[in-house]
Amino acid sequence: MYARPRSKLIGLLYLTPALVFVTAFTAYPFVQMVWLSFNNWTLITPPRFIGINNFTRALGDDQFWVSLGYTLEYTLLITPILMIGGYALALLVSPNTPLRRFTRAVIFIPVVIGLGVSSLLWVWLFDPRVGLINQALSDLGVIDEPIQWLGTDAWVSTWSIILSVVWKVLGFGMILFVAAIHAIPHEINEATMVDGASFWQRTRRVTIPLTSPTILLVTLISVIGSLLAFDQFYIMTAGQPFNQTATAVFYVYLNSFPYLKLGYGAALSLILALIILVFTIVQMSLTRRRRA
Amino acid sequence: MTAIPMRAPLSRVWWRVWAGRNRYLFGAVCLFIVALMLAPIALSMMASVKSTAEAAAVPPTYIPGSLSLDSYERLWTYQAGLPAYLFNSTATAFMTIAFALALTIPAGYALARFPIPGKELLFVYLLFALIIPYQALLTPIFLMFAQLKLTNTLVGLAIVHTAIQLPFSLYIMRNSFEAVPRELEEAAVTDGANSLQILIRICIPSVVPAIVTVALFAFVTSWNEFLGALVLMSKESTFTLPLILASARDETSLGGTDWGMLQAGITISMIPCIGIYLLLQKYYVSGLTSGAVK
Amino acid sequence: MRTDLKLPALAIVAVLMVGACSSGTPSSSPGGAASVAPGGSAPASAPASVAPSEAAAPTPEPAEACAQSQDPNAMQMWERSGGNKGMVDILVCAWNAANAAKPINLSYIVHTEMVAKIAQGVASGDVPDLMGMDLIYAPQFENADQLVDITDQTKDWPELADVSPGHKTVATFNDRLFGVPLYADVSALFYNKDLFTQAGLDPDKPPTSLAELRTYADAITKLGDDIKGYYLPGNCAGCNIFTVGPLMWASGATIEAEKCGSEPLVGDGVKQVAQWAREMVAAGNVPEGARAETGATFAEQFGSGKLGMMGTGNFNIVLARDQMKDHPFEFGISLLPGVEAGKYASFIGGDLVVIPKGSKRIDDALAFMHYLLTDESQVELYAKALNLTTRTDPKLTDNQYYAAEPLIADVAKALAVGRTPYTLTFFEQINSPQGPWLQMLQKAYYTDEDLDAVINKAKDDMKAISCT
Repeated sequence: MYARPRSKLIGLLYLTPALVFVTAFTAYPFVQMVWLSFNNWTLITPPRFIGINNFTRALGDDQFWVSLGYTLEYTLLITPILMIGGYALALLVSPNTPLRRFTRAVIFIPVVIGLGVSSLLWVWLFDPRVGLINQALSDLGVIDEPIQWLGTDAWVSTWSIILSVVWKVLGFGMILFVAAIHAIPHEINEATMVDGASFWQRTRRVTIPLTSPTILLVTLISVIGSLLAFDQFYIMTAGQPFNQTATAVFYVYLNSFPYLKLGYGAALSLILALIILVFTIVQMSLTRRRRA
Repeated sequence: MTAIPMRAPLSRVWWRVWAGRNRYLFGAVCLFIVALMLAPIALSMMASVKSTAEAAAVPPTYIPGSLSLDSYERLWTYQAGLPAYLFNSTATAFMTIAFALALTIPAGYALARFPIPGKELLFVYLLFALIIPYQALLTPIFLMFAQLKLTNTLVGLAIVHTAIQLPFSLYIMRNSFEAVPRELEEAAVTDGANSLQILIRICIPSVVPAIVTVALFAFVTSWNEFLGALVLMSKESTFTLPLILASARDETSLGGTDWGMLQAGITISMIPCIGIYLLLQKYYVSGLTSGAVK
Repeated sequence: MRTDLKLPALAIVAVLMVGACSSGTPSSSPGGAASVAPGGSAPASAPASVAPSEAAAPTPEPAEACAQSQDPNAMQMWERSGGNKGMVDILVCAWNAANAAKPINLSYIVHTEMVAKIAQGVASGDVPDLMGMDLIYAPQFENADQLVDITDQTKDWPELADVSPGHKTVATFNDRLFGVPLYADVSALFYNKDLFTQAGLDPDKPPTSLAELRTYADAITKLGDDIKGYYLPGNCAGCNIFTVGPLMWASGATIEAEKCGSEPLVGDGVKQVAQWAREMVAAGNVPEGARAETGATFAEQFGSGKLGMMGTGNFNIVLARDQMKDHPFEFGISLLPGVEAGKYASFIGGDLVVIPKGSKRIDDALAFMHYLLTDESQVELYAKALNLTTRTDPKLTDNQYYAAEPLIADVAKALAVGRTPYTLTFFEQINSPQGPWLQMLQKAYYTDEDLDAVINKAKDDMKAISCT
């Protein structure tokens, strides 16, 4: 329908506001960001063109590479937890019994809270003086001395943050997995039941393979989300100790805003965007091969 | 569907035995998980109604010894006052909803129904920007807004929130329009209705769930968004709730954080999002999963 | 396309949603550190009326409506938030009461965002008519040509002759004047006389060198019962430049790189103080929790009565007096010493009032500046609130309010040995929680890394920063 020649124009007309908007507020700023990355600019003085200096500087910037490395480490640590945890929960709550539906709904609640708000909440829980985590552990007799969860030891801090993020986003993967499990055709399940396969055999042979596109999708989302991690680190450790927990986006932010090095910040953003693009492409091609 | 098929073959019997034996175990596991997930939220809400002294007490208490709205009172009169910040946040969120719908309804309709040349490319263009961290775009956006006099305005902030939210909204909208049976429209076409009439009379009523989903996500994004607001708003009177919460934590730094007021702020920030989610769970979840597994 | 693009598109969409549901509320004062709090740039005078219970859970003072004039003709003024609020509210309220025709509408900006916020205001042409600025950042904005030169308008003000020298230094750029003091903070050594006595030390003989400080601290820590000899704010860059910086200066060292090409961290004092601090921490003279100190609880440490000595600022007098109501103790104030006995130093901090370019009310803003410097304001506003006067004329400092609180005179002695760092990149070199200054000190305090290597790394970083 609508195949009349004029309809092309009419269609374009409907699309125009969105196109204009995206061009003005996404594409144009992106182009400007690229331009900025070749400039030295402090916001309070005029921009100065410096060629690729920002990029060569990034290559020699130890902290940038430390931050990038740490971000990758964090991604590698948290992604399996989110995937396996989310999937296990999905298997547990996918049956549509009232209790499991309720559990599903509750697990998803933290997803709708802002990450910043949830991070503030966890800062309070982890606080060595007024925090309830140390209090609970000492009431249970697990610890004698309060533990400094955040900012003293990089490894402890990382796991503390991971705990808070897992709490916050586990429901996201779970809900997608549940939907994927629900979408498995009845007949396939029944067929395996007839074969007398156990729950775990079914999970391994049927459920997981049939939901693999969703698994890949959630992996991609988790990986990208983790590579762009900012709020939780900004709030919970601010890079402590010794800037060992400063993520890549945190470092970009630090340069762009508090240090007023907008050109350098833009260059770092560009490098980061490129890395994420590579991840996305790799993941996509994996998906495609899987399908073929 | 349920994981357990309706008709029970032989194996179903031992499945039931196995499941029966484990039913209580699973039930207990579920309840344990529920408690774990709710605990931080509940503890925070309870801390927000502790008295000022109790909220700062060392060692801390789990459950308030007495109820007190002191923390909320302090928040209420904090700087320009909580009502002003609530208004800023709400107004921005509703403008974001309006912008997102005004842009994506026609665009979704166009993408689903019109033979636009290069449609796929245009669609990707509208979505692809998302792999650029939007934080990176804030500097150039700030510059542009400075020239347009949009900094320190709620409209400007709503535009940024719309830009963040647009691709998702568009994706949902296009899928929904595509799912509207074409037969519905054919009668109208024969009656000589034009495309706008068809959109308003036939398509929009069919995509109401998508509209709710888009509005919902626009609201939550805008309500929670921080960095964009931080960059665009330099006047305290234009701050949104997350900004003032952040500065509240900072403000009291000289004598230690005012934990009670912070928890009150966290509670007030969480309630609308959780409330809306619980009320409109169906749209929330379907919005998330739409297309993911079909 | 439907199938081919579906997954990529969905992935992108989903990524967005992660963002959507997750963009939240980064506090500008991370639990870790971004708080630039007390110290070089922050301490700012504590509100004079903090009751003990409130000191533990401070209540922001009720909005001082008198400082927020709603008059359409009001001048717009920005000021950083923090403990300075009490004092600045008093100043603006007094002005508004006396100048109903040109009142000020004061708004506060989170202090960690101050540099960025002002820069944003400048870039968008949306600047206030006047602003209170952390004095330490003034050179950065003077250099960028963003402030109004007030040299000519103020050349006949006699009050400028005895204005706090630290403030004057940073308010001056290329021999031109850009601001006057809004208030002053100065660091000194506070010591608990009761604990001195208990530890068998002479309460009237505060330490005159770092070695003595160490010996005294050891003696006090031995008292046990959570009592510690000294305090080192482990995660607060500003607190450290405010209180540890002077130890280095008093030991003959310099800290920041003033401009590109100048050498930072010069002198043996840097390593000596770092080594001294490392040993202080190792000897258990510093409370365990100090490592997490972001500045949030810095000001309430001394008043707890559990510290023998602490480097802090004049704002701490009033606060400690309020805090000790349920556990009274005697305390004294001396100067922060160096390696060599009898050498002292101090950090003079605080805020300036400046006029951003683009202000529409330059004359009125100048009138407010002049008002702050008058004899009457100095005594009846600053001294009465037990804050330091921003002028050093003895006829002002010799007032009834200071007479009633002799410690003010002791802390004011620090002004004579005080200095204010001068660099265009102060935030990045010194005050940033992620910057080289704090990184260096943390490695000195909490690791065994070779101090020469640690200091050299900080030197390289500071030099690189000063040249960008």
